[in-house]
This record gives sequence, C-alpha cells and structure tokens, in this order.
Amino acid sequence: MSHATTAQLDTHGGHDHHEPDARVLLSRENIYVPEGAGIGFSNLALGAGGVCLLLTAVGAVLHGPKHALASYLVGVMAVLGMSLGAMFLVMVQHLTNAGWTVTIRRQCENIMALLPLAVALLIPYLVLQLVLPDDMKLVQWMRSDMKGDYLLQKKAAYLNETFFAIRAVLYVGIWLFLAHRLWNHSVTQDRTGDRTETAKARRMSTWGMFAFALSLAFASFDWLMSLDFRFFSTMWPVYIFAGAVFSSLGVLAIVLSTLRTFGRLTGVVTEEHYHDLGKLMFSFSVFWAYIAFSQYFLIWYSNIPEETAYYFRRMTGGWESLSAFLAFGHFGVPFFILLFRNVKKSTIGLAAVAVWMLFMHILDIFWIVRPMVYASTPADQMPGGITIWLDIVAIAGVLAIFAGALVRKVSSGVLIPLNDPRQSEALAHRNYV
Amino acid sequence: MNFTIPFTLNDIADYIPFLKRKPGRYVTPGGKEVHAVLAEFKTPADVYHAAEKVRDAGYKRWDVHTPFPIHGLEHAMGIQRTILPLVSGSIGLGGAAFGLVLQWWITKDYPIVVQGKPFAAWEPFTPVTFELGILHCAFATLIGMLALNGLPRWHHPIFNSDRFLRCSDDRFFIAIDAADAKFEPNAVRTLLQSAGAGHVELVEV
Repeated sequence: MSHATTAQLDTHGGHDHHEPDARVLLSRENIYVPEGAGIGFSNLALGAGGVCLLLTAVGAVLHGPKHALASYLVGVMAVLGMSLGAMFLVMVQHLTNAGWTVTIRRQCENIMALLPLAVALLIPYLVLQLVLPDDMKLVQWMRSDMKGDYLLQKKAAYLNETFFAIRAVLYVGIWLFLAHRLWNHSVTQDRTGDRTETAKARRMSTWGMFAFALSLAFASFDWLMSLDFRFFSTMWPVYIFAGAVFSSLGVLAIVLSTLRTFGRLTGVVTEEHYHDLGKLMFSFSVFWAYIAFSQYFLIWYSNIPEETAYYFRRMTGGWESLSAFLAFGHFGVPFFILLFRNVKKSTIGLAAVAVWMLFMHILDIFWIVRPMVYASTPADQMPGGITIWLDIVAIAGVLAIFAGALVRKVSSGVLIPLNDPRQSEALAHRNYV
Repeated sequence: MNFTIPFTLNDIADYIPFLKRKPGRYVTPGGKEVHAVLAEFKTPADVYHAAEKVRDAGYKRWDVHTPFPIHGLEHAMGIQRTILPLVSGSIGLGGAAFGLVLQWWITKDYPIVVQGKPFAAWEPFTPVTFELGILHCAFATLIGMLALNGLPRWHHPIFNSDRFLRCSDDRFFIAIDAADAKFEPNAVRTLLQSAGAGHVELVEV
C-alpha cells in the first residue's frame, strides 16, 4: 500500500524539493567515468607501490626478513580486510533486500572485486612462512625448535604446516568463489536486466554469509592470532571482522567522495545516502570498541598467563601509548565527530573521517602484528627506531598497489548497478527529519 | 542546527490542575470553544498536496491524520527536526558521568580488594559507566518522546468529530489547531477547501 502511495505521489511530481528526471540522473556523464580518467594516477600508484615493495625487500636484507615480513603482513591484512569487509557489505545488502544502498553497491563490489589482488599479495607471505629457514620465520610455531613446546604439542593437531596450507587454500577458494559469483550476478543484470539475478544473489548470500563468517574466523586465527601460538581468544574473529568492515566503509566513503568531487553520481548518491553511510561508519566504530574492550576486559579479569601475555606485551615497552592512542583514535574521535549530522552529510567531512578511520585501522593491525617481532629485538629497532622506515614502505607499498588497482577498477565500468529492481527506491531515498 | 520546541505553555497547563488554560479566541454558536478545523480528504495524494499548501501558508500548529504511514509526508508538512537527540545525548552522557562518579566515590569510601585488582582500575568501572549511560539515554529518549508528543493523555478533543473515526479506515484528515497564531476559522476553511478538502468542519473542545 505504501509503495503504491509513493509511486502515485512521484507521478504527480509532488515533492517540494526539485527532483530531476531519472533519465538525467542516469545519463552517461553522470554514471560513467570519462575514458582513460584516473589511469595516470593508477600508474603512478602502482609504480610507487612496486618501488616501495622493492625497498621492503632491501629492508629485509638490512634488518632481517622477520621485520620485513611483519611490516608486509600489516599491509596485506589491511587490504585483505578492506576487500572482505566490502564482500560482507554486498552480501548483507542482498540479504536484507536493502533498497537505499543500490546506488552505492557497485562501489562495494569494486572493492570486493580486488580480492584476487589481496590474495595475490598474501600468497608470497604465506609461502615464505612455510619455506624460509627457522630463524627468519615470523610465525613462531612453525620453527622446529618450538616443536617441543608443551602447549604447541597440545595444539599440533590444528597448528601444523600441512593443515595450515590446506586451510589457506580453502579460505581463499571460498572468498574468490563468493566474490566471483556476487560480481557476476550484478554485472549480468547490468547487461540483461534480468531481475532473477537479484533473487539469485540474495539466495547465495544466505549460505555465503555462513561460509564467509567461518572462513574469516579461522583465517583470523591462522594468520593473526597464531603469531603467538600460546595466546587464544574466542572474541578474536569478531574483533578482526569489526576492523575489516570499519576499514571497508572508510574506503567506500573515500571512493564515493572522490567520484562526487569530480562531478559524478550527482543526485544518484546524495547527502541522504551519505547520512546513512555515516551512521554505518559510526556504528562499526562503536562495535569495534565494544569488542576490543570486551576481549581486553575478560582477559584482564581472568588473568590467565597465556592470555595476559598478549596485552602485557602491548602495555609495556612503549606500546602502551599506541594502545591508548588506538582507543582514542579508533573509537573516541569517530564517535564524537560522527555524532553530528552535518559531518555525515558532507562529502568532504565524511571523506576526512574515512581517511582517519583507514589510518587507525592500519595502526590497529600494526598493533596486532608488530609487537610479536619487537618483543625479542634490541631497543633501537622498537617503533620509532631505525626499522620504522621499513614499516612505512611496506605498508605504503601494499596500499598504493591496492589504491592503483581500485582506481582502475572503478573507472573501468558503470558506477552504479543498472537495471536493479530497487533502483528507483535508492534514487528517491530520503531519511526522516 | 534548526530545532523547534513543539509545545506551548498552554499544553503544559493541561497536565497541571491548578494552572488554567488560556481561553480560546473562537467560540461556536453553541457556546463551546473551538478546538480545530478538520478537513477530510479521499486519497493520500490529495492530503499530501494539501499539507504542502497548509505548510506554505505558514501554519505551525496543525497535524495530518492518516490510516497508514505516507512516505515523505513529514517533508510535505515541513516538520522541523526534533530536539530529542539533544535530550537523549546530554542525559545519556550525564548518566555515564554519574555512573563513573558513583563507583569512584564508593571505592574511595569503602575500598574492597577484589581478585587482587587495583582499587582505581578503569576496567571494572567501564561496564557500569556504559550501562548507566545507556539506561539514562533510553529513559530520556522514551520519556522525552512521550513528553514532546503530549503523551500520555486521557482524551483528545479531535475525537469529538464523528467523521474522524474513518481516519483509521479510509479517510485522510488535516486538523489546524485553534491555538495557531494565524488561526481564523473562515480563512482556514477557505484554504482547506481550495486545497481540495471534501468536507470541512469545526471541532469543539
């Protein structure tokens, strides 16, 4: 009934604000990037990323491969999280049959479609972990001198190289398959206008969400939590997930703001969409803080040595200032800034918050990975010591390659899904007063 | 930020027995005070466009009554943003501060060693601070929403109209309150009829 009402009102042209014709909104100038736009930036970013990764290899020779591997892992986990978070956003939009997000869904899908790149960046790291000699390995449980450890022996059924490799193939296979299917459903609908693609994407998102949740959870155990094989936390996957979606929302806001600044998506992605996107960013900042505190709080109270070692390492030796800064910057700053509606509705304002969020997310991964290596190294190699340049080039290299590929991806096709049955709902989207 | 306060002193007077409501300016031939002018519409589109006309004519105290939600009606009515977020936010933050001070004060006056943890650790204080913040925020939102809507109340004069009963079935109504500064029964009637009202009547208090 209410849908019929809206349609009726629209045909009367009854809205008090000027509402342009859908044909104008969906004109070629508005929903496509000009031929060749952004290629220069993309080439620059890819080139700079390549140079940075070469410098990382130099750093591996200078400071030992452990430092280089750890820095590289921070970058890879950050971009992998962005892609996976975007895949979650796409699936959750299908599952909830979301109408207002249709015009921003293609940008989620673009970020998701970089999953093969993130995986390609991840594979060298995993292979090096498996083949490097013991003293160069970042993952301690893979070292042969650790195999006699009592706790490791108890966990050996899960933490062994063969199963580790099989699982990695499994996770990557699940993600690539899901991303491929979701992408194909969307672009097939662009071409054919077949409405059943929406239903198909929705149906596959049901089991896809389960597969995604389980694979992300175990991947976060394998690649991040097992850096300290004595440590365990059942809240870990949720923490990683919260950070991943947080960062992918940041990338999404930056992509949309860039397109809008260059005069694309006018009237297609409006301040009303921005308002809701800002609410999502706000909620994932709060969600991250809730999970991060809950994990810390339970470990603090129960006081079990294998668990507290994780936080002890991050609350001594200079890391305590980074921990405090994370709580302030990952939660406090976005929370109080995004409370204000004017910020959420502003193209520049939301993009500025998004850049800050990405910075904080990378610091968060840095905070997870880096203390594992620094724990047993001399003071001159602590953060701010001489190896900090290695962190900067490795993380910047991975991010630059990701950014370069993302620009190419965004400019290579239409900026919104065409022929989606909920498109008119997204174009007419307005929040309540 | 553009907030409005959607009630007057007269509304508050309804709730306090010894406060007298200011008498209305207009009286029906039967000697009763006029509450509002009520106009009936047949379709959602009609009432939507009529609401735009009433909004543009500058009326402030009026309402639209429909059997089901009409999308975008709040824009057609020109409803301003509510002050409720400010109420919720400030009372919520106040509640959080109260929770923190409460624990600090209790711990200071009556320190107990729990699990060998420090007295003034921020960790155990956080859940209570958070929960009291949420609790105050939730109550402030609920009670604030009811207060801003003039609820709860036993009766509303609009129900004195028999035709108004169809508001829960198949008719759409606009009621312009006699307390509006611009209210003048004949002008209001003319406006509503020109906006396409099928039937216009005076509602008595």
